[in-house]
This record gives sequence, C-alpha cells and structure tokens, in this order.
Amino acid sequence: MSRIVDRAGTWIGWALFADLASAFTLTFGYMFSKPVTMQYPDKEKWLPYSRYRGHHFLKRDEEGEIKCVACELCARICPCDCIEVVPYEDENGKRHPAKFEIDTARCLFCGLCEDACPADAIALGQQYEFSSFSSRDLVIGRDDLLGKPGKAMTGGGVVTARLNTEQDVLVEASEPQGYNWWRNIRRT
Amino acid sequence: MELLFALGLIAIKIALLIAMLLLLPLPLTWLERKIAGHMQQRMGPMRVGWHGLLQPVADGIKLLTKEDHIPAEADRFLFKLAPILALAPPFVVFVAIPFGESISVLNAEITLYVSNLNVALLFVFAVIGLEVYGVIFGGWAANSKYAVLGSLRTCAQMISYEIPMGFAVVGVVMLAQSMSLVDIVRAQSDLWNIVYQPIGFFVFFVAGLAEAQRIPFDLAEAEGDLGAGFHTEYSGIRFALFMVSEYVVVLLVSVLSVILFFGGWNGALIPLPPLLWFALKVAFFIYVFMWFRFTLPRYRYDQLMAIGWKVLLPLSMANIIITGIAFT
Repeated sequence: MSRIVDRAGTWIGWALFADLASAFTLTFGYMFSKPVTMQYPDKEKWLPYSRYRGHHFLKRDEEGEIKCVACELCARICPCDCIEVVPYEDENGKRHPAKFEIDTARCLFCGLCEDACPADAIALGQQYEFSSFSSRDLVIGRDDLLGKPGKAMTGGGVVTARLNTEQDVLVEASEPQGYNWWRNIRRT
Repeated sequence: MELLFALGLIAIKIALLIAMLLLLPLPLTWLERKIAGHMQQRMGPMRVGWHGLLQPVADGIKLLTKEDHIPAEADRFLFKLAPILALAPPFVVFVAIPFGESISVLNAEITLYVSNLNVALLFVFAVIGLEVYGVIFGGWAANSKYAVLGSLRTCAQMISYEIPMGFAVVGVVMLAQSMSLVDIVRAQSDLWNIVYQPIGFFVFFVAGLAEAQRIPFDLAEAEGDLGAGFHTEYSGIRFALFMVSEYVVVLLVSVLSVILFFGGWNGALIPLPPLLWFALKVAFFIYVFMWFRFTLPRYRYDQLMAIGWKVLLPLSMANIIITGIAFT
C-alpha cells in the first residue's frame, strides 16, 4: 500500500516539478545565508593556531641574551641546507652565533630545526606574510630573527584587520581575539 | 516642421535605446557574479568600487585593451563579421518592443516605443532568428573543432526551439486578436495572460532559456565540454560583443515574457508608475534567469532534442487547440 502511495507521490511530484522546486528553494535560501569568505587583505585576517609553522624566530633567555649556542645542529639537520651559522665566543667564554642566516626562499618549513635545537633557541612562529619582490630579501639575518613574532597564543579564528603596506606586517590585526570562522559554515 | 520633429524624436529614442542596451550588460554582469557568489556562499566581486560595483568597468577596459587575436587558419572576413551578426538582431528587435503607453514631456505626448508595428510579434521572431547566423559563422570561421561543435549544437538547438516558441505565443495572439505588442498589453489590462495561458508561458519560457543559450540549455558554449563553444577563439572586443549580445537576448526574453504573459506595464494591487512596474517585472525575470543558471545542471544533447521535439512541441500544439476551443 505504502509503495503505491510512494509511487503516486513521485508521479505527482514529477508532474509538478517538485525536484526542481526543492532545488530552487535551496539555492534561494543559500543566497541569503552569510558568505563564508574571509576578506583577507581588506578587512579580516586569519590567526594561526599555536602549532602553526610560520616564519622562524630566535629566542632570548631571561637576561636578554640570545639562547642560541651556535652548535649548528639545525644547519646540519636542515633538509634543504638553508641555515648558515658562524659561531663566536664572548668575554664570558660562552658560544653564540656571530652570523645566523636563514634563506626562507629555500626553507620548506618542516620544523626540524626546532626539533633538533638542544637550547630551545629557534622555533617556527606565527608570521606568514613575508613575501618579497626579491629572493635576496628573503635571506634573514640574526637580528631580524630575534625580532620576529613568536608562537601564536590564541588562534584558529578571524580578526578584523586592515591593509598597511608601510609596515613589515602587511595586514595588521586590530584586536587580539577573533571570532570563530566556522560559525558561518552551514552544516546540514 | 512636424515631420522634422517626428524624425528627431525617433532619432533620440533610438539613441537612448542603443545606449541603454549597450550599457545594461555592465550592471547585469555585476549582478550575475554577485548572485553566483551569494548562492555559493561567496561574496562575488568586492574590491573595485563599493561592493565591486566598478568591476564591470574594469573588465570592459580589460577587454577593450586586450589583443584582438585572429587564428591563422581562420576565415578572416567571416571571423570579423560574426560578432556583428550576433549583436545586431537583438538590437534591431528592440525597435518593436514597447516599454509603456506614453508619457507627456513639455505638453507633448511621447510614446514609449520606437514604432508600433501591427506585426510586431512576427517581426520579433523573424529578426531574433537571424541571431543564429552570428553564432554559426563565429564557430565556422574560427576553424577550431570546439567552435564548430558549438555552432553545430546551436544550429540544431535554435531550429528545434524556435518552433515551439513560435507556437507558444499563438495562444496570446488569439486572445488579443492582434500581433501588435501594444495591443497585446492593452488586452491584458483586466487579467494577465498567464491566467489563461500557463502552458503557453511554460513552453515560451523554456524555449526562451534555450534561445538565450542559458543553463540548462547552454550547450552551444558548454564550458565543461567545449572550452567556450562558438566563441572559443574570440578575444578582446569581439568576445565582448558576443557577451553583450548574450545579455541583450536575456533581456529580450525577459521583456517578451512580461509583455506577452505578465501584463506588460499593467500594474496589480499596488499603484506604481507603469514604467516602474514594467522594469520590476523584467528585473524579476532576469533574476530568474540567473537563479536557474546557478541551480540547474546542463542537459545532455539528446535530452535537449527530446525535450524540444517530444515535449514542448506537442504541449504548444495542445495549447493552441485548447485556447481555440475555449476562447473563440
């Protein structure tokens, strides 16, 4: 009995274009739902998670001294051979890098340098906006690496931001806490 | 003096009409991209101007300054002729299209149409049929397999859809007892034709979708399987002419749907200026065209032919017979 009703139902639906009608209501509904687009350079910016592997940075210890002991383990483990370390000995007899250069044009951001470091001196931070017109500008020295932003503490959200081409960071986030981007995704 | 005045008036009307038809594709492309974006939960163009309003201008400048490439093996004369042949008929058709009854400017009654032909409907269908030549020449002259396939499809599609489209409006002509579009609208002042002619409208609109080569019947330029169909080899300004022609045909089918089935400039319920009523209805139909485009998939070629000959043609025939028995 129910099969007959079903068959009649599909026949009536077929004659009245029920499938087309449901398709049109669906697209019409979507038209007035919120877009999921992240308006990246103009209005919004993605905050990376704390596990994100962005631009490298060098850490300092409590006295403000550079943590790196210039053991060159990172240069040795680097699969693309993009780290160059030249050590020196300061007046207290401690080893530090005189030169610490990372060629980010060759780097593949695997994070092995971070894993290999015995002094917890190098890590991959949150910065992801460092494109450049010249590959020479992508070779970053020791002092620049010390100034790079560290790991993201919060993350996984979208914050309002504005485009600022004068700054080193192209898109400035204007607030620390963002909203959850996934809230606009329609789950059915 | 009076003759001069009349001629001047016609010249002004034609200039206004051409300006409108040439400029209308700009907002329509913007609208289409916006609707496409929002239906897919994107934003569409956002960066040029407020909410991307100047995007069509930027695209136009890009198309005008691009290289006008002609393939080495192409038939150069036909290749250059085709975009003009595709563009001219939809423009010519608008001569016979009324946009309203008349308005009074400076104590002079000015009719809102260039000419009130007594065979306007016949004229419209005769001229719009010529548009297919542009498409066929374009595909043939480019000497490319995708373009030729696109033109072949267009050829078959136009022939099989113009017949039901022509039959579908016979019912309207029978009701109005006239082929003049102005008289047809006047005949609908009490009740719109859609009430008497639902089947006629259905056939007309589906055939109109095929005529304008829009999804679900855009086999002539099916991006997925033919590159871009008949205009695969076109670039720059000639490509822009094809695009303008496509949008003018969309506008034309919307305008014809409104005039023939939805009472033209006759309002309902809310008293608004007739011209505004007309524009609102046309805008609704243009939206429906875009809505269809981003909802439906494309028909297969044999399905297209089957719908045209086995469904729409008998339906339109039945519509004529029913109208003949019921209303005369």
